[in-house]
Amino acid sequence: MNNHQTRNRICYAVFSLLIILAGYTIENPYYIQVLTFIGINTLLALGLNMLMGYAGQISLGHAAFFGIGAYGTAILTVHYNLSPWLALPAAIAAAMIVAYIVGIPTLKLSGYYLGMGTLGFGMIVNILFREWSSVTGGASGFIGIPTLELGPVSFSSGRNYFFLVWGFVLTSFIICQRIIDSRIGRALRAIHDGEKAASAVGVDTRKLKLQVFVLSAAFSALAGFLYAHLVFFISPGTFSFIASIRMVTMVVIGGMASIWGSLLGASLLTLLPEWLHAFSEFEMVVYGLILMIVMIFLPRGLTRGLLDIYERANKKNDH
Amino acid sequence: MTTELPLLEIKTVFKAFGGVQALSDITFSLNPGSITGLIGPNGAGKTTLFNLISGVFPVDKGKIVFSGTGIKNKKPHTLVDIGISRTFQNVELFESMTVLENILVGQHTRTRCGMWGSILRFPWVAGEEKKAHQFAMELLDFVGLNGHADKTSGDLPFGWQRLLEIARALASRPKLLLLDEPAAGLNIVETMQLGDLIKKIREQGVTVLLVEHDMSLTMEISDWIVVLDQGEKIAQGTPRTVQADEKVIAAYLGTAGKKTED
Amino acid sequence: MELIPWPELHAMDQSIMQEILQYLFSGITNGAIYAVIAIGFSMLYNSTDLINFAHGEFVMLGSLCMVTFFGSMHLPLVPAIILTIICVAIAGLVFERLAIRSVKHPEPIVLIIITVGASIFLRGLGMIIWGKDAYSIPSFSSHPPLDIAGAKLLSQSIWIIVIFLVASVGLQLFYKKTLTGKAMEANAISKRAAWIVGIPSKLMVMLAFGLSTAMGGLAGVIIAPITMSSYDMGTMLGLKGFCAAMLGGLGSLWGALIGGFLLGILEALGVGFVSSGLKDATAFVLLLFILYVRPGGIISSADANRF
Ligand SMILES: Nc1ncnc2c1ncn2[C@@H]1O[C@H](COP(=O)(O)OP(=O)(O)OP(=O)(O)O)[C@@H](O)[C@H]1O
Ligand SMILES: [Mg+2]
Repeated sequence: MNNHQTRNRICYAVFSLLIILAGYTIENPYYIQVLTFIGINTLLALGLNMLMGYAGQISLGHAAFFGIGAYGTAILTVHYNLSPWLALPAAIAAAMIVAYIVGIPTLKLSGYYLGMGTLGFGMIVNILFREWSSVTGGASGFIGIPTLELGPVSFSSGRNYFFLVWGFVLTSFIICQRIIDSRIGRALRAIHDGEKAASAVGVDTRKLKLQVFVLSAAFSALAGFLYAHLVFFISPGTFSFIASIRMVTMVVIGGMASIWGSLLGASLLTLLPEWLHAFSEFEMVVYGLILMIVMIFLPRGLTRGLLDIYERANKKNDH
Repeated sequence: MTTELPLLEIKTVFKAFGGVQALSDITFSLNPGSITGLIGPNGAGKTTLFNLISGVFPVDKGKIVFSGTGIKNKKPHTLVDIGISRTFQNVELFESMTVLENILVGQHTRTRCGMWGSILRFPWVAGEEKKAHQFAMELLDFVGLNGHADKTSGDLPFGWQRLLEIARALASRPKLLLLDEPAAGLNIVETMQLGDLIKKIREQGVTVLLVEHDMSLTMEISDWIVVLDQGEKIAQGTPRTVQADEKVIAAYLGTAGKKTED
Repeated sequence: MELIPWPELHAMDQSIMQEILQYLFSGITNGAIYAVIAIGFSMLYNSTDLINFAHGEFVMLGSLCMVTFFGSMHLPLVPAIILTIICVAIAGLVFERLAIRSVKHPEPIVLIIITVGASIFLRGLGMIIWGKDAYSIPSFSSHPPLDIAGAKLLSQSIWIIVIFLVASVGLQLFYKKTLTGKAMEANAISKRAAWIVGIPSKLMVMLAFGLSTAMGGLAGVIIAPITMSSYDMGTMLGLKGFCAAMLGGLGSLWGALIGGFLLGILEALGVGFVSSGLKDATAFVLLLFILYVRPGGIISSADANRF
């Protein structure tokens, strides 16, 4: 246990150093921008991983919470002139409340049915973003979201925003790591392994599932907030069914029940389209193929999959 | 036996699944500190009764009273909290977790650290964790699994998995322990050790309700036997009187006869 | 997605009854389409426990193949339809053979991502072959619309309903009367037992894929004249067909029919009397409603689990 903790501390220390190093040495604004997007996607993947990887509950509608975070801050800062720093907790709280209300009936479902329930919820929210044009700007989107500022520091420059996003990522990693290593984390994994047994040993599975659902919604909303103030313009397409699926894919490809897997998955799914631009019109075909191939050959995600291959190779060498 | 208040009372309990009457008009009670054997042929309704007592399903009719309070509408986790703990006929461990972690989850109702506690790491959390670890180690010692704390539970041999499941059930410090066929799949030596373990559990003051097909084990360690057949209670008494009961013999021979036929 | 062009309705010269009837007609037309898509979902789920998120893309392939064969190459109607369905079914079989059969641990989440990957792939393929344009083809015949109590029933609607009826009666006969159909039904009933004794029933799974995607193709065929067909039309159609299947009861033929028509009609009435913008939400609101109230769907007795 102690070993585990010191190892974690070292990991996070190295991780922080890497962030600082990257932030100060990378000059190319395009790279900084891509890394910032990776950070936002990591938050999305991390939140969903808590729900899917650890508690074993699938969601095909999480882009809704991403959208609630983004639209929440857009509406509050533009329509109500609220400071973004007040809009942040408000948007997160809104996502959490929605998650709580939707979670109560939805989390009673399991398997495909849970997938469908969350899918339906995500679609409805997305349609609301599109149709409630007086508030959300409708299909053409919401423009004029303000820049973040904190006293004299403006987060308009790439470097500052990079640090802001990755600061949130680091904090979120530590929060999730702490949850996973605690009584709550064990109970979550217990639900994953067997819900019946978990409740038979005293875990209030309904309450706990609801708690992680709300927690993961909070991370998604945080990502939505950061996204909105980075690009200043949001439209419903960003929070569609495809976006929900992309989040699920990040989790599964990176590795379920792995915090670092979220980082890996988010990185790959952010970078992949950038690389695929080279394929121009073959982009979608190649993207779809890669998804299928990874899932067919490494169904437990890249982190686990590569570890498995490594272990197998080691075993062969032994004999 | 004594005038003590019973720990668990089953009062005219009925349960049906669709058309199948799984239990009808079951009444009996458990004295504190006793080992009661619940026996009966396949499909008699033993596991169903366990599911009712542990709150998995609601009872259709009748009442189950634990320590003087009715358990109606109580959820399984609340029942663990008030002192009812169980194992499953087909071992249900948290297979991806270690032996130690399984027992730590077993202490869920006896520990408090919640979402905030784990994120903010309040000072008392570390103390609670440490105590939980200590107790888990004691339990591993108690069931004879010391030294295997860090193994993945799914990788354990089957007999050990049974022991681990019992240890996990004891982790909630229950007053009543429900064991569903704990000897199934064990060899003779393991079964004997299991018998000793159950007696040791009773010595700790835990009341045991035991469903078991291994008659020699059940008859040896039980103080009291309740016999179910096709959802009805057909006999109860001390092991000796039950063994001599004609209805019981008929029930077992009957099903044995049916089995040889097909 | 606008399936039916709404004839201009003038409140002045049409009574409310006529209006309702008009919406009903378009609801029934769309319902038949949803039902055909839902049947494809249910058939596959029945035989393989798999939900194919690429199903909508097979509908898209059907539409666009029809655009090519019927619209551009001017093949006669029946050969064009048959050719289209064969093409789509072959695509389905290739998908099964190359992707699905290679999966070693068919967990829902893995299958969801693989089929989603397939849907992106097919959409990309559609874009490469047909480009980003939207196409339309003429109706299967050029009869004037039928006038029923003042409401108009378009000739294509009649085609759609007739083709739908032929397809579902055909399927019913196939399942009840032919040996292969009975074998498939038996396999669907006892797939768990078959699994335990180690019968892979590969052929049955292939057949289910072929039939299911053929139904997808058929949906694409009948929808082509009443909508604009383009590479990205499949997602929403697939999801709605899926809602219909869930609504009726996943895995049941009758459930798919009931779900399809219910969705079509409620959606049409929703457009008429609430707001056309929120039309797309109808399917998902119904989906949530049924999941919360009766997760098994409208038909959810144990027996309805199969065809
Ligand atoms: N969840 C359920 N749904 C439907 N029927 C059930 C359910 N649980 C039990 N039954 C039925 O209730 C009856 C009693 O089953 P139960 O499992 O309680 O028997 P048992 O005495 O534990 O048998 P065994 O010795 O085989 O474990 C059986 O006919 C069984 O099919
Ligand atoms: Mg049993």
